[in-house]
Amino acid sequence: MGSYLVRRILLAIPILFAVLTLVFLLVRVAPGDPAVAALGDYASKEAVEALREKMGLNAPLYVQYFQFLGGLFRGDLGRSLINSRPVASQIASAFPYTLELTASGIILGSLFGILLGILTALRRNRLVDYIGRVFSLVGLSVPAFYLGILLLLIFSIKFNLFPVVGGGDLSNFGETLYYLFLPALTLALIMMSYITRMTRSSILNILNEDYVRTARAKGLRERLVIYKHVLRNALLPVLSVVGMFSIVLIGSSVMTEVVFSRPGLGKMMVGAMKQRDYITLQSIMVIFSSLVVFINLITDLAYGFTDPRIRYD
Amino acid sequence: MYRKLLVVSLALTLIIGVFASGLWAQELAQNQVLRIALDAQDLSTLDPHRSATTPDRAIVDMVFNGLIRYKPGDISVFEPDLAVEIPEPTDGGRVWTFELKHGVMVHPWDGNAGYELTAEDVVYSFTKAANPDRSSYAGEYVGMSFEAVGDYAVKITLEEPLSAMLFLPKVADYAGGFIIPKVPIEAMGDDAFKTHPVGTGPFMYNEYVPMDRVVLKGNADYFRGAPILKTVEVRYMPEVASRELGLRSGELEVVEGRREQDWVETIGTNPGIVVDSFGPGETVTMHFNLKREELSKKGVRKAIAYALDRNGFLAFFGDTAEALYSPVPGNYLAGGLTYPELWAAGLAYDVDLEEAKDLLADAGYPNGFSMEAVTSERASYRRVYEQIQAHLRQVGIDLELRVVDHSTMHSMIRDDVNPITIYIAWRPNADVFLTRFYHSDSIVVTGAKPDTNFSHYTGIDDLIETARVQVDADMQIACWKEAQRELAEYLVSYPLIMLKFIFARSEKVDWGYDLKSTVALYTQITEKTRILK
Repeated sequence: MGSYLVRRILLAIPILFAVLTLVFLLVRVAPGDPAVAALGDYASKEAVEALREKMGLNAPLYVQYFQFLGGLFRGDLGRSLINSRPVASQIASAFPYTLELTASGIILGSLFGILLGILTALRRNRLVDYIGRVFSLVGLSVPAFYLGILLLLIFSIKFNLFPVVGGGDLSNFGETLYYLFLPALTLALIMMSYITRMTRSSILNILNEDYVRTARAKGLRERLVIYKHVLRNALLPVLSVVGMFSIVLIGSSVMTEVVFSRPGLGKMMVGAMKQRDYITLQSIMVIFSSLVVFINLITDLAYGFTDPRIRYD
Repeated sequence: MYRKLLVVSLALTLIIGVFASGLWAQELAQNQVLRIALDAQDLSTLDPHRSATTPDRAIVDMVFNGLIRYKPGDISVFEPDLAVEIPEPTDGGRVWTFELKHGVMVHPWDGNAGYELTAEDVVYSFTKAANPDRSSYAGEYVGMSFEAVGDYAVKITLEEPLSAMLFLPKVADYAGGFIIPKVPIEAMGDDAFKTHPVGTGPFMYNEYVPMDRVVLKGNADYFRGAPILKTVEVRYMPEVASRELGLRSGELEVVEGRREQDWVETIGTNPGIVVDSFGPGETVTMHFNLKREELSKKGVRKAIAYALDRNGFLAFFGDTAEALYSPVPGNYLAGGLTYPELWAAGLAYDVDLEEAKDLLADAGYPNGFSMEAVTSERASYRRVYEQIQAHLRQVGIDLELRVVDHSTMHSMIRDDVNPITIYIAWRPNADVFLTRFYHSDSIVVTGAKPDTNFSHYTGIDDLIETARVQVDADMQIACWKEAQRELAEYLVSYPLIMLKFIFARSEKVDWGYDLKSTVALYTQITEKTRILK
């Protein structure tokens, strides 16, 4: 297990390196100029050129690349091209908001998704199944930003229960929950839709397996059959789906942060993209890429705990 | 008898006075915190000599002062700001001496106490504004020298005389005219100052949360008196639906709106919300690229002009737009042409589709032609292009649009990719409008100082330069008008409309002035702005 972990981490390094290189190139290949974005259209060509020089954008691409890598190894993400503030400190203040949002979305979505999936599978072709299927279909079809606005209209405008703007003070737990509820619900509903469908179909497949029929034929109580033979086997593919859709959810968190005007990496990334702030953008992409690699790793490791057939030798 | 009457009158006056002041006190909301949401991801820079976007200018406007200022809510009037009065120039318009108000206090910063602003600060600020390494507006201050005359007077000497119309905007509360006190920026450095501005205005910097908000506190020592608002929170909210919901839920008092009639009508139906539509807005002008084969023919350009229906544009944009007949907007700036002036010269180009088709046929395009243009993803640009597309289709001209993001569009149009370029802009005076869009030096890519002359036109350099050095206002205006008549005659560009700014607010917000137009391009927040119960 230990050597497998080391192997996976070592394997993650070239993947991250490739992603970093790709990110570095992509943000620079995209048309647009950070100096123009920063100075606006009123600025003269000379002013734009002077700012480009100051931003270090006139240096050869390979020099900028090695500066970027060198900075990363030193733990220095550089300074924003637009507001000149250290990117690391901006990320440090935004990251907890994104983390609490995506983590709560993943946890709530998985938990309720699995429960609803079990319920709809065990009550197949009954009212609860129809409702659950319609619900998950709607959840799969509605984009995060639309769902967010819909929830805001209902809970914030109609019933005035939750705030529309901001992320609250992280040091105040009650306030954090108050500001987190609707954005987390948005992500959780999306996650729940995926997980419900996956759990349902997985359970339905397992229910038709011979060993389930055998267990029933042995006279085991239905609850025991479901718990010991069906759920344990059905949840294995669900686990991989949780990992995969957690990554999708990180993407959805970007628009959720924008709609709810929450501080966070997603909102920061959109801003950096618009302003062509290469330094900030590539740093956020590094964080997101690392998160994806980390979630994949956790998912792979989790298999071992749930499926005794898997060994990491 | 008279004594009794006098006593009764005094008593009545006193009672009415007390009652009225009581009402004033009662009608103010207890919590004087104004939360305004702007269409932006984040600030770029709050150094006024660098700031160029509306969200940045909004904050700069609250933190800094100029020697003189555009009257809040009305850009047609200048009034003294840090200066005691607006002086008359001497030495044939070459020397302007401003006497400074006493007791103007620089905001405290980072544990340092504020101090009294003096001529040394003002000279420092203008010297910085004139330095291209530290200012985006240095070109405005070429040929100017600045000198302190004692502690409370500043002498500005020009190499060439300038008319008041061209000089005063340079020392007003806009761009390089904002006065940056010397000590704080020297202590902090230009980079730190970008996100921690220190000025003399009614509000002072308190907090900046990247990508989220800037918080300003009322400056109790403000020289016009302490602001009524205690706090102003400027929120960065790029999503219009979120801004709208924030306003409707009462979490925001003011939001930047969308320049679309539908939006104005919809938001206006919410109880307690009013919409402010104000100028000067930005001119929307279509520039013809004279280097393109089809558009090098005047007949084709005239055909396009006859195919476009300004009234159709105005109907489409509704309350968010007003008419524009010349590159310099005559409604707001001296030197613009009016419709009757153009009509009298036979240059109004009122819509006439048959004439347009005939002109196209005469130019060798009886079936029209196609062209492709790059536009921004921003609705203000995209919608204008889409309207043009619809108008031109009626005469057989097929305009294909390629939508890119805003920053990319700015880069691409400066690389001369477009046959027609829509440019939406505000410039502070006729000289800047004409120089930057029509002087040969400003031709994109190939000009001596490449800028925004998208047409490649070179025919009015003399008139622009003659006007620039005219001290006599009437002569100067005559030159500018003549230049624009030539532009209209040659059809270098076609001014379409002026897009106004749209903000929505809670009806409890009282600006403290009549809002007609503001050069800061947002609903100015002053020391008199207040929130009512």
